[in-house]
Amino acid sequence: MSALLAVLSALPALVADLATLPLVSYVDTLGQFLRPSTLVGVFVRGLSKSAIYVMIASGLTLVFGLMGVLNFAHGSLTMIGAYLGGLVMVLAVTGASGTVSRFAFFLVAVLLVFGALSALGGVIEVGLIRPLYDRPPIYQILLTFGVTLVLDELVRIVTLFYGLQPISEWQAALGTKPEPLTATIRLGSTTVSGLALFEILFGVVTVAAVWAFLTRTRYGLVVRAGSEDSEMTEALGIDVRRVFTTVFALGTGIAGIAGALLMWDPVWGASVPLAAETLLPAFVVVIVGGLGTFRGTVVAALIVGMVDAVTTWWFVNAIEFTGLPEMFIFLILVVTLVVRPQGLFGVAEVGGH
Amino acid sequence: MLLPDVETMTAVLYFGLFAMSFDFISGYTGYLSFGHAVFYGTGAYFVIVAANGKLPLVPHTTPFLLLLVLGGLLATVLALVIGVVSFRLSGVYFAMVTLGVSQVVYVLVRDWGFLASNPRDGPFVVGPEGATAPIFSVGVPFVDPLNLDIGVLTGDSVVLGPLSLGSTEVSFYMVGLVVLVCYFALQRLVHSPFGRVLVAIRENEERARAIGYDTFRYKLAAFAVSGFFAAVAGGLFAGFRRSASPDNAFFFLVTGDALLAAIIGGFGTLAGPLFGRLLDETVREFLSKEGAGGGLLPYLRDTLPESVLTTDIAGLTVQGAIETFLNGHASLYIGLVFVAFVLFVPGGLLGSVRERLGGPIAKQVAARIRGED
Repeated sequence: MSALLAVLSALPALVADLATLPLVSYVDTLGQFLRPSTLVGVFVRGLSKSAIYVMIASGLTLVFGLMGVLNFAHGSLTMIGAYLGGLVMVLAVTGASGTVSRFAFFLVAVLLVFGALSALGGVIEVGLIRPLYDRPPIYQILLTFGVTLVLDELVRIVTLFYGLQPISEWQAALGTKPEPLTATIRLGSTTVSGLALFEILFGVVTVAAVWAFLTRTRYGLVVRAGSEDSEMTEALGIDVRRVFTTVFALGTGIAGIAGALLMWDPVWGASVPLAAETLLPAFVVVIVGGLGTFRGTVVAALIVGMVDAVTTWWFVNAIEFTGLPEMFIFLILVVTLVVRPQGLFGVAEVGGH
Repeated sequence: MLLPDVETMTAVLYFGLFAMSFDFISGYTGYLSFGHAVFYGTGAYFVIVAANGKLPLVPHTTPFLLLLVLGGLLATVLALVIGVVSFRLSGVYFAMVTLGVSQVVYVLVRDWGFLASNPRDGPFVVGPEGATAPIFSVGVPFVDPLNLDIGVLTGDSVVLGPLSLGSTEVSFYMVGLVVLVCYFALQRLVHSPFGRVLVAIRENEERARAIGYDTFRYKLAAFAVSGFFAAVAGGLFAGFRRSASPDNAFFFLVTGDALLAAIIGGFGTLAGPLFGRLLDETVREFLSKEGAGGGLLPYLRDTLPESVLTTDIAGLTVQGAIETFLNGHASLYIGLVFVAFVLFVPGGLLGSVRERLGGPIAKQVAARIRGED
């Protein structure tokens, strides 16, 4: 009996902390949220987040779809891309550089980053992952996990050596943004940042490029065939091993481009923890979409991006829980896996894993 | 110079237990539980939050061992809930759903003010308001009067005849005792018919089901057992350190550390993860700046002549190179060791030795001594 009383007396303190729910104000906030100007603003922000998510996830999904390798090093490669892109920009941009030249430098940076990371990806595939194809798939995950540790620590050593702060964003790289991206743009009765529009554009171009590669080129056809049935593709006289290498290089290259885009975003920025920060949402997106389907990845990125934007708005305006957006992202993952384990567009048990 | 100090060894013990519990589910059933840190964190937070008098029904003076068991039971319940959902999936999907759940909990813990005054930094053992912080006594009758409390600075020192043990040494033996008991318990399970079924599930789940085993139940039970011991390990960690944080208890990279220990030590061998963690901690300590037990850095600084230290190689002095590449960057070398193990030594340390000897070391050595080759 006394034990029961102890529970009852302690409960209010426990509950009060969790649930101080001012429902009336939530109703007010809902009204505020449903205003057209707010909705448009949240929608645009959601699109820009979706663009970022699709950028960091599409490389991952290409690699998984074809090879069945869940690449844990993907986030680290994105992080390296951010630093490399930042390096190019910091070296090239001077105070006198105008808007046009800054955009041009960025294009150069993206191309360089893509080249460098594709090369790195090729080396990783040939040197490390290829010897493991005849082992249980768990070993490929383990290996890429080890690669992450090595890459992260190498970057940390280098950034410390050059006196950069590895934990927080690289300010010099953030400062190379062209003028229009730091400005806000009026859109009807609401304002959006130029950076958000740029990210949307960038994401759309990447999705279009990957989609065109997969469906409009001969090589894309081979890749899709390899995803469906690699043995049969091999039997048709195609060297699937070489296709693996190419796709892995392509995937890491896209990871690098995503990094170059994130380097300008003050929320992400070039820093060592970017590796873990991008890896987990990338996993969520590819799994919600269905491992290995590019279409699913795009749809999942849209869903996750929108949920992120909406929950961020609610956190800023009503709910004092810092982790709200992040928590919802992982809840999407858990709920999807419970309700539809193969993901939105996935086929059950892709590649036998 | 090469021996790690007692504090490091204590860390090897409790984290080794966590790695063992991870290996119990992942190495024996083949299901990679990538969110295992959620149980470790549960155990750690349970001990501290209870010691701060915030839990109903659990007074802050509850003996430490009871706290460990209660924390373990809480984790068992959690494991059953997570397991019921997760074991409908396999392979990568299982790894991802456990990771997802643990990240939800991580974010919740990181932002929930009830657990600590500053949830991002995590809770400390401060005791309930107005009371002094509890010292974790063992809580076993007839043992308590011996003053064998654990804790880095708050524990007891003991004089036994010519032996005098400081508080850290006492903690080491006490933590070691709990870990040993847990090891024997897990060992018993692994060699029981139950453990054999787990291995059967790893080798061929469909066949195990075809012989008539309800594999879902076996996996769930193994997950619950594993969660229990992971929480005990977390409780030991919190009791010894007297603090925990979301990042060193609940974050997914904590699971990664256990994975590292399990692979290096031997995946699917129970004692292996302990050796893996020993290697990990030794390398870390050896490459740390201070190296309380001595380390590479102070050694090089003291032994290399001044002329060598200031020699310039491509714009970097030897001293500078040592500082840059060795100081605190053990993760790099451990990562390289890990990759090398995955590629070339898939059995891990213990697995390879067993393969060479043709069976568990204890049995083989005993057989050789008796001359039954």
